[in-house]
Amino acid sequence: MSPANDRDANAFRLRLRAQPALRLDLAGFVPQALGGETPSGVARRALWHGNEQVPIGEFFDVEAMAADGPELVFEGDLSRCDGLGRGLDGGRIRVEGDVGDYVGSGMRAGEIVVTGSAGLLAACEMAGGRLEVGGDVGDYAASALPGDMDGMRGGLFIVRGKAGARFGDRMRRGTAVVFGDAGDFLASRLVAGTIAVAGAVGAHCGYGMRRGTLIFAGPQPEPPPTFVPTGHDVQVIWTLLARSLAVHGGPFAALAAARPRRFVGDLAADGKGEWLLPA
Amino acid sequence: MSAAAMLEINGVVIDDTFAEAFPMKATRLVITAHNATWANHAAVALTGFATSVIACGCEAGIERVLEPGETPDGRPGVAVLIFSMSGKDLAKQIERRVGQCVLTCPTTAVYTGLDGPPDADRTALGKNLRFFGDGWQISKVIDGRRYWRVPVMDGEFVAEETTPVVKAVGGGNLLILAHDTEAALGAAEAAVVAMRALPNVILPFPGGVVRSGSKIGSKYASLPASSNDAFCPALTPLAKRTELSAEVGCVMEIVIDGLTDGDVAAAMRVGMEAVVARGAAAGVRRISAGNYGGKLGPYLYRLHALLGKEGA
Repeated sequence: MSPANDRDANAFRLRLRAQPALRLDLAGFVPQALGGETPSGVARRALWHGNEQVPIGEFFDVEAMAADGPELVFEGDLSRCDGLGRGLDGGRIRVEGDVGDYVGSGMRAGEIVVTGSAGLLAACEMAGGRLEVGGDVGDYAASALPGDMDGMRGGLFIVRGKAGARFGDRMRRGTAVVFGDAGDFLASRLVAGTIAVAGAVGAHCGYGMRRGTLIFAGPQPEPPPTFVPTGHDVQVIWTLLARSLAVHGGPFAALAAARPRRFVGDLAADGKGEWLLPA
Repeated sequence: MSAAAMLEINGVVIDDTFAEAFPMKATRLVITAHNATWANHAAVALTGFATSVIACGCEAGIERVLEPGETPDGRPGVAVLIFSMSGKDLAKQIERRVGQCVLTCPTTAVYTGLDGPPDADRTALGKNLRFFGDGWQISKVIDGRRYWRVPVMDGEFVAEETTPVVKAVGGGNLLILAHDTEAALGAAEAAVVAMRALPNVILPFPGGVVRSGSKIGSKYASLPASSNDAFCPALTPLAKRTELSAEVGCVMEIVIDGLTDGDVAAAMRVGMEAVVARGAAAGVRRISAGNYGGKLGPYLYRLHALLGKEGA
């Protein structure tokens, strides 16, 4: 890198040179922490690689780039890189490729866009901001970290592909939108929040769901015996929800015209959750 | 009387005086319902008995009817504005009026009609009314706004949790001095039609017009306000100080509350223009305004300036 290019910046492009031998922990490597840094300074930042700390320059080529605000752009297959955007509190991160586990976990503000797929526990305990995954997400997305009580608790989480099992487990606030299929135990133990799914769902959907809303924009699953229909007019809240989801386009674009059936449950867990079945 | 005081348009004299208004706190609510009829029922009830803060707790009125495409839930609606002297008074009035007049009205839902600045004070809308649900109420956060869904006998009552409270202006006014009742009413009605076409203002009195304009104080110690004797035709030959001449037999006042200084000024301007357009032939002699010598409120609306005739 020439000294002329090694200037202070608040946005950087990081190109992965080779797959790390072990998992690389990118937690804490967020745009706001790098404001005013130089590319060489960024490259000297230490990351955990397995159980040793190594400079990020060992794995990435770093260059400054022009941007409106704090931003990081990663290029390459980051599927062995975990914790990207963990605790993000502002700024933008873009991954042009796949990413590993825990992407966007605990993020509070800002935006993360992943063009590829994400590993396990994406958006777990996310509290704000916007996370979009262009591909699939693994199990336990939008859920809680092992041992914690609450899953995703705010913000907007968009999955363009498929979701793994236990999506939204213990989620309690925020909106999650899944364009593809969802695995087993979707919205299990859901405390609150909204999950909209355009694809098919696996077994035991809504298991132990306490409150919150599930919207099925595509195939309409058969509600389990612990969910019961309510016969009242829900057009007001439905219109508010449908108009909000319409901005995502695709199968969510025309929901407002539908008149959904509503089921409440899980009756084994207070029964204040709802399924909205518009077709 | 100076030349400026003799401003006359179409035979109607515009007094060289000013209306004096004062700061208030306000919010806009949007009420929707299954059809326009029920939205209107709720709005009329909510804005009832809200002519003056002197005894009503707030001043409120229907701002305009909303088409389905303009409301958050795609149903017919009505926008109402509510003004009080403080945020605390406003909060109390919102809770009482929405609770008794909107929650109770079939098929209605209620939302804030103001975006407000990010740091705006907010007051409860559905936040406390939700407890009517006795534990069955549920909330839904959509795009950062929290709505409460309260089970009721026709389905569920949806209410946005809070509404912004903004600084506003109350007490803008016009006095229409006419030869007789018919002429005064006709001019006032024409002014009301013109003023109600503007956004961000309400005319809180019945039909937008008040015939009992008041002055501050009274000979009776317990009364904070009393009849504005200077503008009462019955007292023209009797009162120590009268603003009327013998040819004035009826005076009507229009009070304007607006979200901003400019909104009140615009309403007063179109109101005066509507009156003078009818001309002296319609029986109107003068247009004046009520004030307290400029000592009470920070907002002063000079009639000549509003008509672009300052210094004429």
